[in-house]
Amino acid sequence: MKKGYLGIDIGSISTKGVILDEQHNIVTSSYIWTEGNPIKAVKDLLHQLKESLEEEIEIYGIGTTGSARKLIGLMVDANVVKNEITAHAIGTTHFYPDVRTILEIGGQDSKMILLKDGLIEDYAMNTLCAAGTGSFLSSQAKRLGVDIEDFGHLALTSKNPVKIAARCTVFAESDLIHKAQVGYKKEDIIAGLCKSVVLNYLNNVGKGKKIMPPIVFQGGVSKNEGVTKYFSEVLKEDIIVDPNSHLMGAIGIALLAHKYEDGKMRSLDVADITFETKGRECEKCSNHCEILRIYKDSKFIESWGSKCGKVS
Amino acid sequence: MCHCGIIIHKEKNTTYNALGDKMDKIKIGIPKALHYYYYGTMWKAFLEELGCEVVISPNTTKDILEQGCKLANDEMCLSLKLYLGHIHYLEEKCDYILVPRIDNYGTFEQTCTNFLSLYDIVSNLFKTPLLTYNVDVAHKKSELEGFIHLGISLGKGKEQSKIAYFHSIEKFIKMRKKQRIQELKKLNMTNIKLLIISHPYNFEDTFIGNSIKKILSDLNVTAIDGEMITLNENRNSEESLSPNLYWKYNKELIETIPVIKDNIDGILFLSSFPCGPDSLVNELIMRKINIPYLNLIIDEESGSAGMETRLESFIDILENKKTVR
Repeated sequence: MKKGYLGIDIGSISTKGVILDEQHNIVTSSYIWTEGNPIKAVKDLLHQLKESLEEEIEIYGIGTTGSARKLIGLMVDANVVKNEITAHAIGTTHFYPDVRTILEIGGQDSKMILLKDGLIEDYAMNTLCAAGTGSFLSSQAKRLGVDIEDFGHLALTSKNPVKIAARCTVFAESDLIHKAQVGYKKEDIIAGLCKSVVLNYLNNVGKGKKIMPPIVFQGGVSKNEGVTKYFSEVLKEDIIVDPNSHLMGAIGIALLAHKYEDGKMRSLDVADITFETKGRECEKCSNHCEILRIYKDSKFIESWGSKCGKVS
Repeated sequence: MCHCGIIIHKEKNTTYNALGDKMDKIKIGIPKALHYYYYGTMWKAFLEELGCEVVISPNTTKDILEQGCKLANDEMCLSLKLYLGHIHYLEEKCDYILVPRIDNYGTFEQTCTNFLSLYDIVSNLFKTPLLTYNVDVAHKKSELEGFIHLGISLGKGKEQSKIAYFHSIEKFIKMRKKQRIQELKKLNMTNIKLLIISHPYNFEDTFIGNSIKKILSDLNVTAIDGEMITLNENRNSEESLSPNLYWKYNKELIETIPVIKDNIDGILFLSSFPCGPDSLVNELIMRKINIPYLNLIIDEESGSAGMETRLESFIDILENKKTVR
C-alpha cells in the first residue's frame, strides 16, 4: 500500500491539512474554519481528508504546526510538532528553492521570513499592534456587506483608493467608518483598506528588515488580490502567490513528518476517540496559575500551565 | 550605666527608648522589584547592620501583578506596575518602606525617569511612611552621602552609617564576583548559547523571567545573563557600539556584547512594554551587531504560546546556522 504523510496547520482562524506521498506530491488537502475549537476542527478535517482519498493510504508520519500545534500534536500522536515559522519556510523552499523573502499574513499573526540558500536567516513576527490582520479584514468585509472572497477583486476595480490610517487596526477601523459615512465609494474604501494592511505590515513586521526578491506571499490573506497588488506596488517587485499558498505551513510540517519518520503507522480515525480539556485556576498559591488538563478517552494524559511544576 | 541607675547590657542590634525599655526593631520594607535587583543586597546589609529588621516582599505572584496594574496608570511600564504591586504587598507589614530617588551617577550615567519619580508616585499612592535617600552625582550628591542621610534618618550616627555603607559595598562586590564567575562558566557549554540582554528586574523576576527560562531550557539552550557579567574592567566597551549613550543601566547591559560576542550564538533582547530607554537602545544596537538577535517585548499577557513560537523559531535558526558552520 502507498505510504503517506499528514501535515496539519491549526491556525486561530482556519485549519489546514494535507497528505503527501513519498515523492512529496499532494495526495489530498482540506481547509476548514477553526471556529475557536481546534479539537473539533481537526476531527472534521480528518474526516474530510479520509473521505477525499481515492485509494487507501498508510500514514507513516503526522506533523502539527500553528498555534494549537501542541494540543493537536498530543491528540493525533504526531511525530513532529514544530512552530509555524520553520514549517512555512520548509514548505515554501520545497516549491521555490531560491526564495529570499516570505511574506505571511494569517488570521491572527503576521510574519516575515528572510532566507538565504534555502536556510532561514532571520524572521520577524508582529508585536501586539499588527495582530489580527486576516480576522480584521473579514470583520470589515462583513461591516461593508461584501463577501471576503470578493474583497480583493473589488479592490482592483478602484481607481482612487482612500487613505486609511495604517498605524493599527483600531485606528484603521474608526477611520474606515468615518470614510464610509462621508460618502466614499465602497471599492475605494476596500482598496484603501488593502493598502493600509500592506503599509501596516511593512512598518511593523518589516521594520528594519531588508526585503530581497524573489518574494513569496502566503497565508490566508494572500488570496486577496488587492493586498498582493499593493505589496508589489510598494515593494516595486514581483510577488509570487502559489495556488497552494494557504497550505504552505501544512506542507512544510508534512515534509518534516516524513524526514523524522519513526516507522510507526498512524491512524486517521482520531475522530472516534474522545479528547477533552479541562481548565481550572489553581488555588494552592497566590500565582493562581491557569492549569489545563488534557484527557484522551477519559484518561488524563498531560497538563499545562503550572508555573511551579508541582501541580498537574 | 544608665543615668537612672539601672545597668543595661547593650545588646547589639537592640533599640531602647528614653526609659531604657527594649523596643522592637524598626521594620523596613523593601519591594522586590526594579532597583531591588541592583541594590537589594546593599540595602539589606546596611539596614541590618544599623539594627533594623528588613522585610522583603516575596517573588512576584499574579496577585501582586494584578494589584500593581490596578494602581498604575496606562503609561507605566510593566516593571513599574510590578513595583507598585510589591509596595502594596508591604503596606501594613512594616514601619517604613525604602523608596530611594536615584537620578544619576554622573552626567552620562542617567537612570530612567521612572526611577526618579518613584518616591513621589509611591508617597502619593500609599499610607506607609517612606524612607528615602537621593543620588544625583551630577549635582554632587553621592551614593555615600545618600546612605549617610538614610542612617541619620534612622537615628544613627554619621560615622556608624558610613562604616555600614562600606560593609554593604563589600558584600555587594563579593556577591557580584561570584555571580560573574558562575555566568562566565556557561560560555564553555557546547549547546546553543544565548546572551540575554534584559534589565535584571525583568529577567530575574520570577513571574516574567521563569517562563522564558523554562522555554529556553526545554529547548536545550544555555541562557547567559548579560547583566551578571557586567565587568568593571570592560567599562566603556559599549562605546564601540554607541559613543554617546547616557542611560546607565542600558550601558551596563550592552557593554557585555563586545566582550563575549565571539562566544555566543545569538542575543535575546528582552524588554518590558513600553520601556523608553530599551526601545531606543535595543533598536540601535540591533543594527550594529552582526549576531542573530531577537527582540521580545513582554506585557501582562498570561499565555506563553506566542513567546514559545518566537523563541522556538529563533532557536531553530541558530541551530541551522551552527550545523552549517
